[in-house]
Amino acid sequence: MTPELFFLLSSVLFSIGLVGLVARRNLFVLYMSIELMLSSVNLLLATFSKVLGDASGSVIALLMIAVIAAEVALFLALIIHMYRSSRTIDSDTFDRLKGQIND
Amino acid sequence: MLEISIFSILALFMLGGSIAMLVNKQTLFSAFGFLVAMIGLAGMFALLDSRFLALAQIMVSVGAVVVLSMLTILTINAKEENLPHEPNKYKWIAFASLLVLPITLLIYKSTSALYASFATMQTINSKVVGKLLFSEWVLPFEIVSILLLSAMVGAIVIARKDVVQTQGEES
Repeated sequence: MTPELFFLLSSVLFSIGLVGLVARRNLFVLYMSIELMLSSVNLLLATFSKVLGDASGSVIALLMIAVIAAEVALFLALIIHMYRSSRTIDSDTFDRLKGQIND
Repeated sequence: MLEISIFSILALFMLGGSIAMLVNKQTLFSAFGFLVAMIGLAGMFALLDSRFLALAQIMVSVGAVVVLSMLTILTINAKEENLPHEPNKYKWIAFASLLVLPITLLIYKSTSALYASFATMQTINSKVVGKLLFSEWVLPFEIVSILLLSAMVGAIVIARKDVVQTQGEES
């Protein structure tokens, strides 16, 4: 059992999250991709905690779980707000900040 | 040998769940894939001897986060025509995977070059975590509690009904 397997799994999960963030347009899938990226970093922290024989990495991961929970509450409230204002969960609809060059 | 087999099963769960999350059109099936990935991650924490972290992962990520997102998905209840229309989704996913592949290799190479073996240590149970949390990490702990409180207040304010209505009247 070597740490390399955990490093490989963590980087692959981070990349899957990044791909989901780039390629999909469903707001919920975007949100779950961000969650997956944060969780892969958590896995990396736990692995370092075991590699170094230090429990501090585990504590940082624990604090990060709390940050993830706060982020989830805000993101879901934001999705509900956006769905109420425009009746869709397509992220391409929300381009009001893009500005209109032709006008 | 046993550890390797447990690791492979859990990794299969996590990768399968996250890929199912990535490719499904229906949002609820994506959430189920995400649920499987989070349970696999809790198993990984247990495999890494972080017992308290595994428990917190099960309680917070699986029990609160995934259930809350599923509740939101079911509350919104988007119909088939309200879902985003993604005609060449797989092409985009393949393109983004090619784009992200060097980053993956970079992260893997840079992290795996650091350490080659695990340190021998006792399991990280709740006693060790609690002692660290209230001595060395007490300031981040308090900051996280303030962050959680402000996030709750912010979520309530954002999700209130009259925020949308006043904005609609102004514009």
